[in-house]
Amino acid sequence: MSMRGLTVFIADLRNCRARELEEKRVNKELANIRSKFKDPQLSGRQKKKYVCKLLYMYILGWDVDFGHMEAVNLLSSPKYSEKQIGYLAVTLMISESNELVRLVVNSMRKDLDDHIEIHQCLALQAIANISAREMAEALSTDVMRLMTSGQAKSFVKKKAALCLLRLFRRHPDLIPAKDWADKIMVGMEDYDMGVALAVTSLVVAVAQSHPDHMAGCVPRAISRMHKIVMEKQYSPEYVYYKVPVPWLQVKLLRLLQYYPPPEDNATRGRVMNIIQTILKNARDIPKNIQHNNAQNAILFEAINLAIHMDPQSEAVVQASELLGRFISSKETNIRYLGLETMAHLAGFAESVSTVKKHQETIISSLKDKDISVRRRALDLLYSMCDVSNARVIVHELLQYLAIADYAIREEMVLKIAILTEKFATDYSWYVDVILQLITIAGDNVSDEVWYRVVQIVTNNEDLQEYAVRTVLTALKSPTCHETALKVGGYILGEYGHLIANNPGCTPAEQFMALHSKFTMCTTPTRALLLSTYLKFINVFPEIKDQVVAVFKQYRFVLDVELQQRACEYLSIATLASDELLQVACEEMPPFPQRESALLSRLQRKTQDTEDKRTWQIGGLDANKENLLAASYKRHSRRRSAVESTDAQLQQQQQQQQRQNSGLLDLSDDLPAQQPPVHHLHQELQQQQAQQTAATTAASYARLVREPNGVLYEDANIQIGLKTEYHAALGRVAIFYGNKSTATIANLATDMDVGDGVRVTLLQPIASSVPPATQLHQMYNIECLSPVNLHATLKISYTVQTAHQPFSSSSNPTTDNNTLSLRLPIVSTKFLTPAPLSRQDFLARWTQIGGPPREMQIVAPTGPSVCTDVGQLRNAVEQHLAVSVLREFEDAVVAAAVWNAASGVGKVGCLIRIELNVAQKMFRLTLRSTNEQVTAALAPQIRDIIESF
Amino acid sequence: MLSAFFIFNVKGEVLISRIYRPDIKRSVADIFRIQVVSSTDVRSPITTLGSMSFFHVRHENIYLVAVTKINANAALIFEFLYKVTGLGRSYFGKFDEDAVKSNFTLIYELLDEICDFGFPQNTEAETLKLYITTEGVRSERAMKEEGARIAIQATGAVAWRRPDIKYRKNEAFLDVVESVNLLMSAKGTVLRADVSGQVLMRAYLSGMPECKFGLNDKVLLEKEGKLGSAVSTVPGGGRKSAGAVELDDCQFHQCVKLGNYERDRTINFIPPDGECELMKYRTTENINLPFRVQAAVVEISKNRMEFKVSVRSQFSNKIFAQNVQLKIPVPTNTSGVKCLVTAGKAKYVGSENSIIWKISRFQGQQEYLLSAEAELTSTTTKKAWSRPPISMDFQVLMFTASGLMVRFLKIFEKSNYPSVKWVRYMTKPGTYQIRGDPSMQPSLRLFEPQA
Repeated sequence: MSMRGLTVFIADLRNCRARELEEKRVNKELANIRSKFKDPQLSGRQKKKYVCKLLYMYILGWDVDFGHMEAVNLLSSPKYSEKQIGYLAVTLMISESNELVRLVVNSMRKDLDDHIEIHQCLALQAIANISAREMAEALSTDVMRLMTSGQAKSFVKKKAALCLLRLFRRHPDLIPAKDWADKIMVGMEDYDMGVALAVTSLVVAVAQSHPDHMAGCVPRAISRMHKIVMEKQYSPEYVYYKVPVPWLQVKLLRLLQYYPPPEDNATRGRVMNIIQTILKNARDIPKNIQHNNAQNAILFEAINLAIHMDPQSEAVVQASELLGRFISSKETNIRYLGLETMAHLAGFAESVSTVKKHQETIISSLKDKDISVRRRALDLLYSMCDVSNARVIVHELLQYLAIADYAIREEMVLKIAILTEKFATDYSWYVDVILQLITIAGDNVSDEVWYRVVQIVTNNEDLQEYAVRTVLTALKSPTCHETALKVGGYILGEYGHLIANNPGCTPAEQFMALHSKFTMCTTPTRALLLSTYLKFINVFPEIKDQVVAVFKQYRFVLDVELQQRACEYLSIATLASDELLQVACEEMPPFPQRESALLSRLQRKTQDTEDKRTWQIGGLDANKENLLAASYKRHSRRRSAVESTDAQLQQQQQQQQRQNSGLLDLSDDLPAQQPPVHHLHQELQQQQAQQTAATTAASYARLVREPNGVLYEDANIQIGLKTEYHAALGRVAIFYGNKSTATIANLATDMDVGDGVRVTLLQPIASSVPPATQLHQMYNIECLSPVNLHATLKISYTVQTAHQPFSSSSNPTTDNNTLSLRLPIVSTKFLTPAPLSRQDFLARWTQIGGPPREMQIVAPTGPSVCTDVGQLRNAVEQHLAVSVLREFEDAVVAAAVWNAASGVGKVGCLIRIELNVAQKMFRLTLRSTNEQVTAALAPQIRDIIESF
Repeated sequence: MLSAFFIFNVKGEVLISRIYRPDIKRSVADIFRIQVVSSTDVRSPITTLGSMSFFHVRHENIYLVAVTKINANAALIFEFLYKVTGLGRSYFGKFDEDAVKSNFTLIYELLDEICDFGFPQNTEAETLKLYITTEGVRSERAMKEEGARIAIQATGAVAWRRPDIKYRKNEAFLDVVESVNLLMSAKGTVLRADVSGQVLMRAYLSGMPECKFGLNDKVLLEKEGKLGSAVSTVPGGGRKSAGAVELDDCQFHQCVKLGNYERDRTINFIPPDGECELMKYRTTENINLPFRVQAAVVEISKNRMEFKVSVRSQFSNKIFAQNVQLKIPVPTNTSGVKCLVTAGKAKYVGSENSIIWKISRFQGQQEYLLSAEAELTSTTTKKAWSRPPISMDFQVLMFTASGLMVRFLKIFEKSNYPSVKWVRYMTKPGTYQIRGDPSMQPSLRLFEPQA
């Protein structure tokens, strides 16, 4: 059935010359379709036509936000053509997260239950394409039923199996592999090859994540392979260029590789037999390219399986001969596969002698015209490397590195670094190779590589001197890569003194070698070099002047990191004593032994997307670990299923951690050489701070009882306070006086208050205070609650000081200062006197009662009032806003009201202080109508009395 | 300066490519096509990619692009590009893709002439037309004579006019064309309003006439002390007949003697023959808006929306506007609209996603109403409608939104011939947009929706 409207519309759109015209046409059509869809009686054919148009616009990239309902309606149409368009629209326009998925699920289920096969197929296809979670939840059982049902036609079963495969890949948790395993595996024996192939794909996927549940597939796979290869049982339509069902064969062989070799000899022999037959079949090379491809696909999988079964077997020996032929083949694909399989072989064979025979060919493959082949050759060389051939291979790799593609350089560098480290017989070779590496491909040397070099040099004492000498020679060459400079900077700094007496290696020359490159490198390298210079000062006092000049110059550089380093190092270098310098520049202790970060870096690079690899690139060691891990997994799984998943998870986590930590390895350690300096600097500051802290505490205590006074004072600034309180409200004026001869600039204040008090700024302050002047700012204070009643003033300012105690230069420097001062805004400030008679007092005293509204504290008295109750009474009257009841003579008794602007409001407080002259102690008893107030007020009053 | 000059069509195909300097390759055209023509992002007229800057202007359906590798004067380059469009118009009438395609040899010839090694040269159409022609080559003798003449004119003081022009009837036409830009909020407050105007002159005058021309420029009138007394009929009879207009900035054709203007604000010039844009100006103060529009958009229910739009002409009832068209945007999921209007015709146009209301003749001091109800379909993704503003198109003759008028135009010529002078005013919209008010309830229902 043709749809003329659709063809005309498409033709129109194609004829639109500009985007604007197309937009107009699309808008017009959308408006038309909207008006058509208003009609509920719209025929299915019309609906189909308009949905088609919408789809076309959607595919072109226009926003279509309606018509989904119509598409869903089409699903339930009995006509195939309409249903088909409906499904097409649904798969394209409905995304996984759409709400309409729910609606669609019902129609799909109806179609799956339908006995018309083409409808079932449409539904299966749509499920696989959308594969929304909800859909998988609701329909996976139906799909499963179709796949295993006896009545379903083969092509439906096939589609069902593939649909299930897709659902499993998207939502592995939704498919109960354990329960379904047996049912799924039955399909492998289906007489129809197509079904068997589809089901095997599913089995391969499930077996990778649930090998135990699918263990039953091994005998099935073996018998199926046997039938195909040995008994030649297959329907003729599945013979592809004389090769019977190559896809199924490949899948089955691959499946067997996910399981350990069968233990009983009979099955083992059967498998080996199959492999032998395949190898035999591959002796003659067919002319037809397709035939050849199919045959090779099976052959390579068979070789892989043979290696997996037993790397020592006769089959493998045969295979390696074949492989040797393949890697020099004219066909690129065959070369690729040959190299890859050989890397597999090299990864498992105890001795790589079979592979070594082809070393020449492999090395020449590095120069292949196809990059993927070059990569495989690199992998193979990496895998087959051992002590005997390491030098040759590394040499070849280094030569090739100079001309290698940028895409594989980084990987090459990593691999060379690993091989060199692993198979180095003498250290000088290692250092030479790494330096060569940096010179050839400096830009591709990742940080891990040079971190590792530093680690190794630090940990091997005999290596150090040679390393320093070679590095210095490298640095002296006119072109020198930045990474080399980094390595050089570190090594010279640490071990430069070892060669200081050699001719051409004098301290000054070492310094010049580094410093001549200083201006050309990036900031992190410069920072590293500055640290090196400091170390030079420590070991070579004779070049101190030159180095100090550099520090002085870099004190004013724009970059903060460099500036800070320069300043700190300068002050350390110019300190009167060398003690600090020596401590800071002590030689680095050896690094703890740990796994090379390089390996984990390399492993991270080989992440697979599809079917998992059954082996690792790398020598026997890499694969042994793998096998061990696998067998460990298997054992633990036998114990209990739950445990096993835990263990797996843990392993994954560990692996991740290892990877992460591997990366951080040395980068953590490098900055660690700086801290001593920072600490010392901080200590200096702390000492100063402690001195002032003592005086500050005293002035704070005084201001708690006095309204006015000085809060803080140092060489530069004086901060004074004037306060005034009326019940719950108060006002604070803070005075900033500049005592120094320079201007205080960038003055910024900030108030940090608790919830108990609200502070509002009345009068802000200018940001600079000229010498010998005073400025002030005003705050309003409001008491809200007795809890969290405190306020801290944070001040920061800079002073231009003209001198520095240990610096010979007289350049003005700026000092940054920050102060954090607690303000004497405390609960006692919000008391107002409440005159009471003796009777009233006693009545209320008993009315309030004991704890928690009462609090009693015993403490020593202050020195001035310890002798006499009268003196204490006067002091209390003077310093606390309470009314003292003179009718009580043996003790000081007072009453007051505590005020808050909100919350508790006014709270009556009764105070009784008894004095023990003999022991110079007093007992304070406070009763108030609010327990919170009691708790807050009592310690405060105690503090005041103590300070008399 | 310019390294290259290109002309592209809207598809990004190169129509003309002229490389002026060897520092770039012809393939930079691809960069422009990919980065500017095909990209849908907001386009800036200047795009700097790597070390190259692309300056482009769009004219009709072509892009004119200048490329430079140095920090050239952007204003100069744009001026050059606009000059090229001017040249194109003056040579081919219409400067579009077809014109470029059918005249490419001529265009290359022009490009060779107007720019040397990237430095713009004489771009005056009058002069260029003397020696870059579409005609065949004439005899060598004629060329010699001609050549001398061309050289004199191209290097003389009045490059834009030949000395030997003769007309039997001497006429001069002045057109004042203004475009009003307006953005009005739903409440009726003017958010942005300005007028950019141009004075076009068509001179059919003999000899070398010196013209002098006066506007009701506020500065000039104050200087002459005539403010207040100089009241005459401001075109369109706007309310502000006090009559002085404050011009924010003026730009003149090169023929105007700027010295005189600077000194005493008089505009003296020897006009080029034929049509030219004598001056451009802009004002932002005291603008007479020709139309006032009020719109209310009410969502009656989830799938119904009501529009009420009233439009009122504010100019004198003696004149009228032509081709008035309002474009009232409706939501993108509109499936049908019923419209009722008191004048003109209104209908829903799907391709624009809006109601188009056309009124061919709109008398002054009139008010017309539109009431429409849109039916909406439900959509799968709930996107809030962005409520684009209503825009308007019109043409009002003999009315200037700024209140500008030509006070006089005097022509002096040695032979002292009589001349006829014509002045015409027109106002049209630039972007004339009014935002719809979502909260305003319609006060009256013009029709009951049918069941």
